[in-house]
Amino acid sequence: MLSRVADSLYWMSRYIERAEHTARVMAVKLESMIEQTPEDATASWARVIEALTGELSLEPSQDAFLTTRKLAFDHENGAALITSLSMARDNARQVREALSNEVWENLNRLYLRLAPVTMDSIWVHTPARLFREALEDMHALEGVTYSTLSHGEGWYFLELGKHIERAQLLGRLLDVHFRGPRDGSQNTPKYFDWLVLLKFCTAFEPYTKLYTASIRPQKIAEFLLFDPEFPHSIRYSVDRVTDALARVAPGAPPARRAAVERLAGRLKASVDFGQIDELMSGAIAGFLADITRQCEKIHETLYASFITYGAETVL
Amino acid sequence: MEAAANQPLAGTPRARHTSRMQHEAFASTEDFGGTDIAASPTRQARPGQDAPYQHYALGAAYDEMFATDGTARAPYTTLDSRISTLPLEELNRRQQACEQSFLHQGITFTVYSDNRATERIIPTDLFPRIVTATEWERIERGLTQRILALNLFLRDIYSDGRVLKDGVVPRSMIYGSKHYRREMRGLPVPHGAYVNICGSDLIRNERGAFVVLEDNLRVPSGVSYMLANRDVARRAFPGVFRSMNVRPIEQYPLELLATLRSLAPFHDDVSIAVLTPGVFNSAYFEHAFLARQMGVELVEGRDLLVNDNVVYTRTTSGLKRVDVIYRRIDDDFVDPLIFREDSALGVPGLFNAYRAGNVMIANALGTGVADDKAVYAYVPRLIRYYLSEEPILENVETFLCREEKALEHVLANLDKLVVKAVGESGGYGMLVGPHASKAEREEFAEKIKSDPDNYIAQPTIQLSTAPTFVGNGVEARHVDLRPFILHGSETKIVPGALTRVALKRGSLVVNSSQGGGSKDTWVLG
Repeated sequence: MLSRVADSLYWMSRYIERAEHTARVMAVKLESMIEQTPEDATASWARVIEALTGELSLEPSQDAFLTTRKLAFDHENGAALITSLSMARDNARQVREALSNEVWENLNRLYLRLAPVTMDSIWVHTPARLFREALEDMHALEGVTYSTLSHGEGWYFLELGKHIERAQLLGRLLDVHFRGPRDGSQNTPKYFDWLVLLKFCTAFEPYTKLYTASIRPQKIAEFLLFDPEFPHSIRYSVDRVTDALARVAPGAPPARRAAVERLAGRLKASVDFGQIDELMSGAIAGFLADITRQCEKIHETLYASFITYGAETVL
Repeated sequence: MEAAANQPLAGTPRARHTSRMQHEAFASTEDFGGTDIAASPTRQARPGQDAPYQHYALGAAYDEMFATDGTARAPYTTLDSRISTLPLEELNRRQQACEQSFLHQGITFTVYSDNRATERIIPTDLFPRIVTATEWERIERGLTQRILALNLFLRDIYSDGRVLKDGVVPRSMIYGSKHYRREMRGLPVPHGAYVNICGSDLIRNERGAFVVLEDNLRVPSGVSYMLANRDVARRAFPGVFRSMNVRPIEQYPLELLATLRSLAPFHDDVSIAVLTPGVFNSAYFEHAFLARQMGVELVEGRDLLVNDNVVYTRTTSGLKRVDVIYRRIDDDFVDPLIFREDSALGVPGLFNAYRAGNVMIANALGTGVADDKAVYAYVPRLIRYYLSEEPILENVETFLCREEKALEHVLANLDKLVVKAVGESGGYGMLVGPHASKAEREEFAEKIKSDPDNYIAQPTIQLSTAPTFVGNGVEARHVDLRPFILHGSETKIVPGALTRVALKRGSLVVNSSQGGGSKDTWVLG
């Protein structure tokens, strides 16, 4: 597979994952805010903003309308849902020949439907509905990708992009909920916020099946970090990254493949052997930061080994 | 209540096998027009009188659908009766469906204004243009003859120059052309085929005869729109389509692949790539489409590198050799070491690899010398010279100002002629006599006299008109015809073409950059 094509597939997939994550968080947040006190809603918005943009929000109150616009439809905002979709589509357009018609048309239609949306037009109805519909389209896109593309090298680059992105997005979301507030205020998550966190990760029902409906932060952390079967746990994503790495660049020199696989193995060990009780006594922030760093390192090495390598090194 | 038992799959059901082969190129195959049973005509809708043709003007130009007395020509009767019996809203709905389909497939180009980029589709018209079997047979023979002569001409001017020594074509015209590539002299090309992919522009004149307006021998585009138009027109009028014995064109990518394969010196495992300038090129959709349909790699210059005169692609697993390149970038940009050194689109060293015979490039470099406006005027003579045959398809009458008698005629009839500078394109250095003022004509006459070699003149030509949907009815719009000719070890012309449409009323400009659209072309079997 052309290195450039692998590059575009990988980023297309990362951006789709980011867009889907944003859409789900927005949908859940907008649906849940009516059940919160203004103070709790503001604290919750601050966590959402930080999880989605990396920006620490210190404003005393959060305007839902403006925040939604910024996170979803602000074309100038690099972290907005619409920007992610646009980037995904730009990448897809560059590798049309590596995608099926169905994948391209699903993505293109979704973008064309969302690009002209204005806040005023959705705010008069139920704003969350638009995000729910977008999520349905994204699930359709995921299904079409799974069932119309050959599960060859290109597909595994899509997997790599999706799960490297997902692990980091989950890491950020867990971080803002578990590490305690940075501004020294008393806005620690309450019972309802833990429920919402599970829903942000589409994890509520799978969680209750395993741990019953008793909502306990430590169990939530354990589930979202270490569950091997739930698709939105960090461990699940790490396993997919490890699997995918074994399937890409089959003809690359062994030393190059080994460099990436070693890093993936180390990351896998971190989550396979992590102990939740050790983390809950204040170590979770450091642990999550380490996971993020390892993901970034895998990304860099992946690029150096298969995508941006110097031609002189293989001649 | 008893639950329904789950059933394993019983014996394979006898499905009706209808051929879906023609449909596979595009994602959705749903008809836009329901069953679309062609109705028998209850009355004849007259152009200029009855809906939806109230504003259908029959002028001096030949009309594809209506004869001068306003009755539909024989090949168009089925389509005409379908159009006349459908309500305007239904036509409008089908037109919208065609446009939606283009939008979703990404058959668009980007327009930049006020710092905002907006995407527009390449306009498509839902009514097919029809070419009869007899007309097509002549076109096919004429274009085959033409491409043979042009390839013999290119081989000649890049080797002995016999045609120049014999005084058939002036030496200065060839060696002075900016498209003549000295680097190509004495370089053999496979099968002597310099032009492997050609798109010739034909028009139908007032007498109803097809004549050649232009040969595009460099990197002609539009073939993907030919296929995309077929897809939407067939879905807009499925019943009419089925009843008319339209010849298929979906084999084009296969034929192109076979042509490219035939250029390689061996037969097994030929590695082929389509070289595109990238996603910002207006024809990018086509490049990606062709690569996908042929199942070959789509590459940009930065994906390729040359080592020891061998061309490789950079892949995730390392370097992979390339044998044949279908390049969709101009000569000038192919190799910065030989041609334009500021080219970021090309591949340094590509030309040397080509010269060494390690990679084949289609079309060959330097083909542009044979499609400029002056050489065009010589094509009929080239056909006689190389093939000892009379041209089957005529040229548009062309006066070469370098010839004394022609010059006299041009200067005496400037008010009736279109004068074009030979080396220019895109409307530069051009005089449209009937629309110019006396002063402008006099000024231009001086230019011609001072450098007659640089000018040719042609009568103003009325392109034929064809029915086109305009929103509130069906009107006549001018059209041309671009068939695509493939030439490797053999010559192949897929029975179809891109029909370009000048969407503005009265306009003769069919270029998509200037408000042109396109429509499907049905060649009947």
